[in-house]
Amino acid sequence: MPGVDHCLQEAMTIPGAVGASIVDYTTGFPVATTGAAPNEDHEAAAAGTAEVVQAANSRSLFVSAVPHDLLEDLIITTAGGYHLLRVVQTEFDSRLVLYVWLDRIRGNLAVARRMMQRLADELVAAR
Amino acid sequence: MAPTKTAAPGDLLTRVAEARQTGALMVGGHPGGAVYVFEGRVIYAESPAAPGVGELLTSSGRLAGRTWQNALDLGTSTARVGRLLVEQGHLTQGELELCVLGATYDAAYFALSAESAPVEFLPGATHWLGAVVHIDAAAVGREVRRRIRLLDEIFPNRRIDVAPVSPVTRPPRERVTVTAAQWELLVHADGQRTPADLAQLLGRAGYATIQELRRMAAAGLIELPETRAGDSPEFVRLPHPRGASAPVERTAPSVPVISGVTSPEPTARHPPPNSDPAAAVESPTAANRPPRLARRKPGAKLPKELATDSPPVHQGTDEVLLKRIRTALRALR
Repeated sequence: MPGVDHCLQEAMTIPGAVGASIVDYTTGFPVATTGAAPNEDHEAAAAGTAEVVQAANSRSLFVSAVPHDLLEDLIITTAGGYHLLRVVQTEFDSRLVLYVWLDRIRGNLAVARRMMQRLADELVAAR
Repeated sequence: MAPTKTAAPGDLLTRVAEARQTGALMVGGHPGGAVYVFEGRVIYAESPAAPGVGELLTSSGRLAGRTWQNALDLGTSTARVGRLLVEQGHLTQGELELCVLGATYDAAYFALSAESAPVEFLPGATHWLGAVVHIDAAAVGREVRRRIRLLDEIFPNRRIDVAPVSPVTRPPRERVTVTAAQWELLVHADGQRTPADLAQLLGRAGYATIQELRRMAAAGLIELPETRAGDSPEFVRLPHPRGASAPVERTAPSVPVISGVTSPEPTARHPPPNSDPAAAVESPTAANRPPRLARRKPGAKLPKELATDSPPVHQGTDEVLLKRIRTALRALR
C-alpha cells in the first residue's frame, strides 16, 4: 500500500532527484520530507513553495479564468537544478503539492514530470 | 490521573513527549481539544473548531456516511478504524495519512494555541482511529506557533476566529476579488455561524477557514466583531441586526401630506401630529419593538395586554436555536 513515505521514496528514484517533500500550500508547511532541500532547510523551502503555488493559483489568468482548468504542474528551472511542483488532488479538503528537486545535469524534465504525475495519482486514488 | 490544572498546553505536551508517555492531553476552555500521544509522538488531535477525519471524508463525499459508520462500529473498540478503511479498500494509505496529518495539525492549532487553559493528561488513553501517523511533538509545537504568527501577519484580530461571521452589506470598494474558498464562506455566513460552524458545515479545515476570514477582514469584506466585556461564545447568540438600524424618526415624516381632496387653503400647514417630544425620547430603545399599532384617538387607553412594555425577548432566541438545529441536521446528512 503506497503511503506518504513510500511516495517520497519513489520520488527519490526519479533520475537526478536530490530531495522531495509534500507541502501544504495554504500554510507553507512541509507535511513530509526526504532528502535534501535548497539551503538545507525544508521548512523555508516549503514556505517558498507555498508562495509560488498561491501566486500561480490566484494571480495568473490562464489558471484562474477558465472553469475547471485547474493548476497541475509548476516547473521552475535554474542554472543548477529543476524544481517541480505537482498539485495533489484529494477529494477531501486539503491543499497539497508534491515537490521534487532535481539536479540539472542528471535530471530529465519529461521523465520526472511523468513519474510525479503517476506518484501523485497513486497516492490518493486506488485506480 | 493528573488533576486538572491551568497551564500552557504546549508546555505540558513537551513534558509528556520528553517522558515518552502514551495518553491523551485534554485541553479545556474555548475551543479546547485533545492531543493524543503514543510513546511521546503525536498520533492524532481533535478540537470542536476543526473538522475531524470523519467529517472531512464524509462531508466531501469521499466516503458515504454508511461506510464511515460501519468502520466506526467495527473498529472503535480495537482502535483500528483508520486501518480498517484501508484494508476494506475504501481509502488508499496515502489518502488516510494525508487526511490524518491535515486534521491533526489543524486541531493541534486550536488545542495548543492558548497561552493558558485547563489541561489534564490521561495516561494510557488511545484514540479509536488508531496510530496512522507519528509526528514529532516539537514539530507540532513549532508549527502551532508559526501558524499563530501567520494569522497575525494577515490581520491581527483574534476575535475574528471565534465571533459569528457577518459579510458587510456593502463592499468598501468598486471591485472585489475573492477566492473560491472565500466565496464559499461568504455564501454560507449568515451572521450567526461562527468560523467553527462554517468549517464543520463545509468540511474545510478550521485553520484554513480562519485564514480566509482574516484575509477578508483585512479587505473589509466582513464585519469586525465588536469587543464586549464578558462576551462568551458559549452563550446563545442573539441575531446580529444586519442593516436593520434605520433611524426610528423616519416613521414620522416632517413633510406635511397634502391631499387633493381637502380644501385648498394655503394656511393648512399644521406641524405633523407625531412630533411631540415624548416620542423622540423613546427612540433609542425603539429599534427592537414590534411594529407600531394603529394610531389611536387622543385620550383613549391601550388594551390592557399591550399596555405593559414587554418586548418578546424569546422570539430571537428561538429563531437562533432553530437555525442552529437546522445547521446541525444539514451537517449530519
